[in-house]
Amino acid sequence: MKNKEKHIGFILFVVFAVLPFTLAFGYALLYSFGVIGIVNEGFTLKFWKEVFTSSTLGVSFIYSSVIALIGVILSVSLALWIVLKYRESFGNKYLSFIIYMPLAVPGIVSAFFTYQLFAQSGFFARLSYQLNWIETAQQFPDLVNDNWAIGIIITFISLLTPFFILLYLNIYKDERIEELSQLSRALGANKKQIALKVSLPIMLKKSWVLIVLYFIFLLGAYEVPLILGQESPQMLSVLILRELKQFDLTKISEGYVMAVLYTVVIMSATVFIFSRKKLRNNAY
Amino acid sequence: MRKYSCLLLSLIAIFFSSCESSEELQDWKNASWSEIKEEASSTTVNFMMWQGSPIVNDYINNYVKPTLKKKYNITLNISSGQGPEIVQLMMGEKQAGSEKGQVDMVWINGETFFQLRKIEGLWGPFTEKLPNSQYIDLNNPFIGIDFQQEINGMECPWGINQFAFVYDSSKTPDPPKTLAELETFVKVNPGTFTISNDFSGMTLLKCFMAEMSGSPDGLDGEFDQQKYDTLSAQLWDYINRNSKYFWKEGQTFPKEHSKMDQMFSSGEILLSYGFSEGGIEDKVLQGLFPKSTKGYAWENGTVLNSNYLGITYNATNTAGAMQVINFLISPEAQLKRAEPSGMNANPVLDISKLPAEYKTQFEKITARQYGPSLDELSENAIKEPAPEYMLNIYEDFRTYVLEK
Repeated sequence: MKNKEKHIGFILFVVFAVLPFTLAFGYALLYSFGVIGIVNEGFTLKFWKEVFTSSTLGVSFIYSSVIALIGVILSVSLALWIVLKYRESFGNKYLSFIIYMPLAVPGIVSAFFTYQLFAQSGFFARLSYQLNWIETAQQFPDLVNDNWAIGIIITFISLLTPFFILLYLNIYKDERIEELSQLSRALGANKKQIALKVSLPIMLKKSWVLIVLYFIFLLGAYEVPLILGQESPQMLSVLILRELKQFDLTKISEGYVMAVLYTVVIMSATVFIFSRKKLRNNAY
Repeated sequence: MRKYSCLLLSLIAIFFSSCESSEELQDWKNASWSEIKEEASSTTVNFMMWQGSPIVNDYINNYVKPTLKKKYNITLNISSGQGPEIVQLMMGEKQAGSEKGQVDMVWINGETFFQLRKIEGLWGPFTEKLPNSQYIDLNNPFIGIDFQQEINGMECPWGINQFAFVYDSSKTPDPPKTLAELETFVKVNPGTFTISNDFSGMTLLKCFMAEMSGSPDGLDGEFDQQKYDTLSAQLWDYINRNSKYFWKEGQTFPKEHSKMDQMFSSGEILLSYGFSEGGIEDKVLQGLFPKSTKGYAWENGTVLNSNYLGITYNATNTAGAMQVINFLISPEAQLKRAEPSGMNANPVLDISKLPAEYKTQFEKITARQYGPSLDELSENAIKEPAPEYMLNIYEDFRTYVLEK
């Protein structure tokens, strides 16, 4: 019986996950080589050459990785700090409501919030003007569509931190860190030692796969960088979509080359992470 | 056994009926208008159009739809989509070999017409088949020629408008009208001018390029690579030399023109631009732009062009689409479209060709309160250059300005 259920699960997985993905990937691959596509003329390597000789994709990869990394590191740090320092306060329903509310807000709405609050014509700029801190809109610091992607990072943090707080509160409870901390204290450890040598290592070890997955998720984020990013460089999804929708129809295949490369990199990274995890689990 | 033969027979019947209908589709080019009209009655037409303007939506939903239903018993379904979405949809359907498209007719401009022509996504020629096309002056180069290509009946003109500059006369009494004046303007007012990385911004660059060519018709005719190389080098030099005085010091440029409207209304930028003579009238009436907003054309001219309605290559209701388009270019529908309290759009019709009753009605339409009229600007009008100029400007603006 259990075997049969396993089979059904496998079939469902193939039909709903593997098959559509394989077909879409195959379509993108054929398009990237010019085999299909209304204005393409047959097999060619020119789109691949074009993408490899231009630095656009490479720059976008690095740019996206740095933003995603900063976003994840800051969110995780903030969440850890809040959980370790203020976990008792989460009994207060108003505070927990404020902390968890962003979980219900979609990325695109969050991006608009950030824009409305931090743009040079936004809420804080207007407030600063009313308080006579600035005289013109241009004097307000550039926080959206800016060179340093500050708007994007702020939004990522607002989206990720509540999730990680929730996660770490559970880990804290499940892994009985409170008891372990008391034990350490009894053995003479100070607060700093408890945090650095007991609480943090356990929480990070338990959550590292999720941290990496969230990094990958941010790497491929679309709406937030679309609204808050600049025109160049652009984050990966924005760049790929731009290439796929471009005015020059003869170059659409370049967008598919980028999509294929991006998928291959992300798939390899995911497989690598999970195979390592499996190895480690088997080792225990 | 009997059950199976029935099933087989019905399948054969469906097969033949579908063959018949595809033959019928071919026939509409030679059919008489009364046949088309008869076929169109009691049908549904799917129209894909840009739905970004509440005023245009109001015109379609509260005037066009009920009138079509009442007069011709046609149900008009609207789906949202413009340029790239239409092209993507057509490419997808072509790729899949779909004979029955989701959409019967589309609202397009020259950019999309060029792309759809490339993938043979349009059905036609049909324009001259429409009885109301007699009121359109197809010999007018701003109407009958789209991006330097004759429309040849493959799309029907629906509206005409000019690209205009927009400024607030209370803040900027003397806005720039030439590239030299713009250079001084951005130095005196740093951070108040920018170029959107979209159709509007690229149209602005075409206007600049035409000025660099030395005359309003300097870019007319087929694409000239040598001319482009010379002029574009001057253009990128001009922009890069001045971009430090642009919005955000030229470090970044807005993705879309709609953002520029917001920035103009909040005073972040002092100089804006756009099609439909700058889109000033409705934005002032909506309260988005101040009442002191004015529009003007560049001294060397700004692009004057038309927008069109096309029928898709795989339309399932070609006759219905023709009937709807014929209605949309009727004096009645164009008059409604021109109402100052409504869409306030320029009629694409040649008023002198209209029956007397409509002539007087069109002449009675009150002038705009805020925005300039097409007549005021059309002295400084230039034609859309060949599409290759746009293709290259898009690409090179990214290479030489955005990614620099």
